[in-house]
Amino acid sequence: MRKILVIDDEKPTLSMFRLFLNAYGFTVFTAENGEEGLEVFRKEEPSVVITDIKMPGMDGLEVLKRIKAINPMAEVIIITGHGDLDLAIRALNMDATDFINKPIQKASLDQALRRAEERLAMAESDEKEISWSQENGMACIDIRGNVNAASEALLVETYEQISAQNIPRILLRFNENASINGAGIAVLIQLLTESKQRNQAVILTGLAENFRKVFEMVGVTKLARIVQDEADARAVLDAVQT
Amino acid sequence: MMTSLREISLKNKIFFSTLAMVLFISAAIALLARWILISSLVNELTGRGIAIAQSIADQGRGYVLTRDHPNLVSLIFDNAQLGERRMLVEYIFILDDERNVLSHTFIRPFPEDLGSANPIPADKPYSVARLSIDDAPVYDIAVPIWEGIYSIGTVHVGLKQKHIDQLISKLRITFLGFIFAIFIIIFLVSHKLSKYVTRSLTQLTKLADDITKGNLDLKPLGLEEADKEEHCPAYYNMDLPCWYVDKTLGRVSQDYAPEKPSYCTDCVVKKKKSGDEVEQLADSFKHMVRSIKLYRNRVRESEEKYRSLFRSGPTPIFVLSTRTFRILDANPSALVTYDYSREEMLKTSFLELAPEFKNRFNAYFLENPGAESFIYPKAMHFRKGEVPFYVNVVACKTRYLDREAIIVSTSDITEMLEKDAQLIQASKMTSLGQLSAGIAHELNQPLNMIKMGSEFLDMAVNEKMPLSDDSLREISNEMSAQVDRATEIINHLREFGRKSDFSKEPIDINKPVRGVMSIMAHQLSLQNIVVTLDLDENLPLVLAHVNRLEQVLFNLVTNARDAIQERFKTLEEEGLREIAIQSYVENDRVCLSVTDSGCGMSPSVAEKIFDPFYTTKQTGMGMGLGLSISYGIIKDYDGTIDIKSEVGEGTTFLLSFPMANV
Repeated sequence: MRKILVIDDEKPTLSMFRLFLNAYGFTVFTAENGEEGLEVFRKEEPSVVITDIKMPGMDGLEVLKRIKAINPMAEVIIITGHGDLDLAIRALNMDATDFINKPIQKASLDQALRRAEERLAMAESDEKEISWSQENGMACIDIRGNVNAASEALLVETYEQISAQNIPRILLRFNENASINGAGIAVLIQLLTESKQRNQAVILTGLAENFRKVFEMVGVTKLARIVQDEADARAVLDAVQT
Repeated sequence: MMTSLREISLKNKIFFSTLAMVLFISAAIALLARWILISSLVNELTGRGIAIAQSIADQGRGYVLTRDHPNLVSLIFDNAQLGERRMLVEYIFILDDERNVLSHTFIRPFPEDLGSANPIPADKPYSVARLSIDDAPVYDIAVPIWEGIYSIGTVHVGLKQKHIDQLISKLRITFLGFIFAIFIIIFLVSHKLSKYVTRSLTQLTKLADDITKGNLDLKPLGLEEADKEEHCPAYYNMDLPCWYVDKTLGRVSQDYAPEKPSYCTDCVVKKKKSGDEVEQLADSFKHMVRSIKLYRNRVRESEEKYRSLFRSGPTPIFVLSTRTFRILDANPSALVTYDYSREEMLKTSFLELAPEFKNRFNAYFLENPGAESFIYPKAMHFRKGEVPFYVNVVACKTRYLDREAIIVSTSDITEMLEKDAQLIQASKMTSLGQLSAGIAHELNQPLNMIKMGSEFLDMAVNEKMPLSDDSLREISNEMSAQVDRATEIINHLREFGRKSDFSKEPIDINKPVRGVMSIMAHQLSLQNIVVTLDLDENLPLVLAHVNRLEQVLFNLVTNARDAIQERFKTLEEEGLREIAIQSYVENDRVCLSVTDSGCGMSPSVAEKIFDPFYTTKQTGMGMGLGLSISYGIIKDYDGTIDIKSEVGEGTTFLLSFPMANV
């Protein structure tokens, strides 16, 4: 049973989390502020931490920084207020795994937990984050896990291989558990800009909803279309060819 | 008789009294002179007669002794005919000692009874008697003829009284002529004199009458000459006061007399008076008229000035009776502003327009007996038909038509107050805008819990998960509590945003403090700012409005928060982040202090923070109206606001309000 730590200054929220996470089968620890949360983290070493970003005293970003300092492999999910995307991006830049918006819906909580789970599993199995394949004139890049500064080289290399073969259409296929941080977004934007200059058609698909919002905000959608369903995305790309 | 005497003009009085006096004296002199003249003339003539008789007696002594009639006759005829005697002497005759006629000058028979008339008494040397001969009066003078010691006869000389009378009447005519001449002269002189004396007086009277009629033209008194000499600027220019009369060159004291301008040294009014009393009187009169003219012009000008102020001034002005507060007069602006016609207005009591005026007025002058005027702002007055509007009122005591009166001037500030209210509302909305992020966060908390709770229940139902009663109760209780929490936030926001009126009500000053804290406390705690409340629970009430005081407090707390954030830029910085709010009573006033541990401000900044549009914040972060509006609100509640601030140490805002008399 995985240990999970929830940090939030709202007691009612904490008790709801406890109900949910217990139902999911986690061992739940809770803390009402950052300091207390860090203490519990040190003691219990949970693999997943959910923390509110706005708290009196030590805020969520600070907690995230300290947890990453203690254990970079810990999966930290940030709870943000509705519309606090810039805070979410800051958190992602600090290697947060994911973020969920308040009011917290079961679906997004489930997704975030699942992604964390899968990433944990992937980290344990040492699978490659990025791989690609060619299917009748279309490059299909699969992205799993976390795209960050570390994965920049891999992403650039993959892109170069595709360019070398002069493939006009690219499908960027995000895995359900994939997440992307600030550095990852920067690399992506750079590559997408190059594609646009080369007149390559690029479609992004499979993105989780909260990441779609982030992409919209940072301007990725101006460089490439995002089509949620993979079949639709393929259809769009086929249309581009003809 | 007396009245008719009184009504005689002065001129005639002088004239007639002079004449009468002259007449009386002349008559007295004439009578006296006549008496003296007649008696001396008669004496003189009888003396002459005696002399004639004695000379005849001497010369005729021999002829008598000898009875020489012819010589006697020639002697007496010679004497009677000699020179002027002829005119004087009526007759001469000589008697012997037997009283027989020896000779006479009658050319007719000797009157029988003449011989016995006028005998000489024994002890007298002669005798004079008035006789009448042939109805002609005669002075008969008898002188004895002496021979030794014997009387040998008598000489009688008759003097014509007619001659004497002729002499006397000649004298009288001369005399009367003389007196008449004098009389004529006196007549002319006195006439001239009386005319001269009374002319100036007549003119003065005429002038005085003219002045009474309001004609101040000085021509009749020949003042054009004075006008010609007039070079005093104050005489022509009514705005220039007279140095002498108005003492404009400063206070004239014993030690100090301001230097006179050149035209003042030969000022007509101050010129030394010359001439006789009447002329001096006329001079004084002229100057009096000049002064009156000067002052009347000034008074008229000043009156016109004030009248035009009253008539065409833009602010409504009322004149009220002090006792009844009835409107005695009102200017056109008052009629327009209060929507009354003049007749209606004069029938209306001022208390219909301003019901609270009487109490305020009386209370004020009871408290300040020496005061002359009082001002009170933001009074509610009524137009015709009970239409309310707001005015500032200035009232002062005065006299009007010899009665105690009050002059009230009002100025319509409704529009200003509306603008004020709009501004306050706008600033409140700005505040709400600034709050919105915090409020969103605040509302998100209960929503979050409710959402999670409902999702959990949904999950439990869908997956047929067994749910303990405790869990269910926890969820339902918690959801209900969170809905209450959200409702409370929304209610308070609505309350804060509501437009408030100008009315005051007794409130507990702690109430707005708690109200503001209920909106801001959580947000402040998220910024790691500790709020310490030290509220006296037994405070007297103050007259104010919760909503508006919340706005003031909100502004102060926001400023405090910003000041703290200015001082501690990052959360890592160690230091006391505290806002302390205290309420207490001091010197019979209810005080509220808001202290922060922020960056503080310099005295130069502290001086300006209540100025409109003054802000230390970056462009776009605030209008700089918050504190100036707060200041206005506090003033409305007769409150004060003070600042104590040290750069780098923090700031304290100290508010105080008078206790409500409830």
